[in-house]
Amino acid sequence: MPFRHLLLIPALVLLVATSGCRDAKIATYRVPKETPPPAAANAPSADPHAGLGIPPVNAAAPAPAPAPASMPTPTDMASTAVPTANNGDLIWSAPAHWQSRPASAMRKATFIIPGEAAGQQAELAVTAFPGDVGGNLANVNRWRQQLQLAPIDADDLNSVLTHIHVGDLHIDLAELLGPAPADEGKPRLRVLGAIVPHNGATWFFKLTGPDALVAREKNAFIAFIQSIQPAR
Amino acid sequence: MRDTWISFVKFFVSLRVTVVLLALSIILIFAATLDQVNLGIWAVQEKYFRTFFVLWNVKGFPVPVFPGGYFIGGLLLINLVASHLYRFKLTWKKAGITLTHAGLIVLLVGELLTGLWQEEYQLRLDQGQTRNYSESYRFNELAVIDATDPEFDQVVAIPEERLQDRAEIQHEKLPFRIVTRAYYPNAAVQMRDQLGNTSAPPPATRDIGAKLAIIPLPLTYKQNERNLPAAVVELLGPSNVSLGTWVVSTMLVQPQTFDYAGRTWRLSMRFERAYKPYSLTLLKFSHDRYVGTEIPKNFASKVRLHSADGSTDREVLIYMNNPLRYDGLTFYQAGFDNNDTTTVLQVVRNPSWILPYIACFMMGVGLLAQFGIHLFAFAAKRRAA
Repeated sequence: MPFRHLLLIPALVLLVATSGCRDAKIATYRVPKETPPPAAANAPSADPHAGLGIPPVNAAAPAPAPAPASMPTPTDMASTAVPTANNGDLIWSAPAHWQSRPASAMRKATFIIPGEAAGQQAELAVTAFPGDVGGNLANVNRWRQQLQLAPIDADDLNSVLTHIHVGDLHIDLAELLGPAPADEGKPRLRVLGAIVPHNGATWFFKLTGPDALVAREKNAFIAFIQSIQPAR
Repeated sequence: MRDTWISFVKFFVSLRVTVVLLALSIILIFAATLDQVNLGIWAVQEKYFRTFFVLWNVKGFPVPVFPGGYFIGGLLLINLVASHLYRFKLTWKKAGITLTHAGLIVLLVGELLTGLWQEEYQLRLDQGQTRNYSESYRFNELAVIDATDPEFDQVVAIPEERLQDRAEIQHEKLPFRIVTRAYYPNAAVQMRDQLGNTSAPPPATRDIGAKLAIIPLPLTYKQNERNLPAAVVELLGPSNVSLGTWVVSTMLVQPQTFDYAGRTWRLSMRFERAYKPYSLTLLKFSHDRYVGTEIPKNFASKVRLHSADGSTDREVLIYMNNPLRYDGLTFYQAGFDNNDTTTVLQVVRNPSWILPYIACFMMGVGLLAQFGIHLFAFAAKRRAA
């Protein structure tokens, strides 16, 4: 049956011919002019998505809602690899009721603080990046933006930040309360943040969660911040 | 010659080959599943399944160590088709088996075509924002844009792979050639003054590249992370006159602008874009939770679909399991961001999406028919006895 033999050949050829690498062709097209992203300057940030509507990757997002498996959480989408500060770590001691989560490429540490209501929780994210990451004003304004608060200017910064000394560390603390949410059922958010410059890097300790829960944990947070010290 | 041909054919129709291939595929799947911890789903698919051979890097040289998914799947397909042609006879008694195997063939071909044709992009929209392009999850491109025209941008999009190859890039729409001087598959860029080490020379001479430092990072294979490539490119005019060197990186948000040959140009390394002749505007994103809990009840994006030619202009509600199908693409609700003011849609083109359904239907009917035939034959025999 020769025709049967011949059928094997095109099957093999088809298989090989249709399998190949991605076609890396240069494309050309004309598109209506796009408004440039709203970044003021092309300062590189740890946020490759700035202007694309993705929150900064170096700032912890508010405690994400538990999402179904098919719904990637936004932190998943945005956790792109960025350099974290590795030159000299900080250590601390956390209250027993804070539940530690494994550190990741983006996080030096994560703690979950359960609330009294079911599903209610606050999250403390610890991140570190080389340099000053834009300075205190930019960092505070980024937190404010995440809470949908208007940015402040340099004159108001001192009234927002509280400066404390812990050993050799100079720490700036900020407390921010988000606006009351329009939707019923959504909690009003409060953020307690600490900015800790250390060894040419800046460490961020950011506690985000429902207003009442974070307010309840304020003393524990301050005690936690005062426990921070350079690793020996 | 004829003997060679016969032994060749006999090899391909042999049941032993089927068993060996199935055993190999079990090992392959097992190894890939273990390696998924290290590489993530994308890289595992590429390394183990969408390849003819699994390659190991031995001192910089790729060495094939195991047959890959295309190899095993391809041989299984040939084995199955050849066996049908040579061994199986078309009789009513075996119609079920034939149909089941035909379903299996459709399934194998379907997976091959999905691997070759499927495109996955994402579309991020802030509330009120309009976009007419989606962005690749994995691929990046260097966009060289002629921005002289006040209305339109003329874009030459160069895939990242071309920069990686380091070959000189020349294009009829560009009055200069592009040469990759350095390429980093994953890197961060930082202001040099922030790093405190300004003794090293800047990586580039033009624009922000003169103030930057490039910090190479190890490649990430995690499913929820992506590599952010950076490169130093030099533009060469006629007679090899250098226009300077630029740092391009997906971390740099704004395109870098320069004037050359009486035209305004922009350089930007960005996530690969797929433009469409229509746009989507996010009107409202809803993230409903069960009252008093953080448990999600519903995610939905109300978008306005507007085609450039004006033939389509309508509002669409996209929610879980209710995607928008338009222009051969499927827009799924995939994520949300920015305190529920940004929606993330997954944009998928898969022309062969129907094949697995057809395959399962064929196999189901085939098995039912085969068992039915046996059952009736058995019952008839018992009645006769």
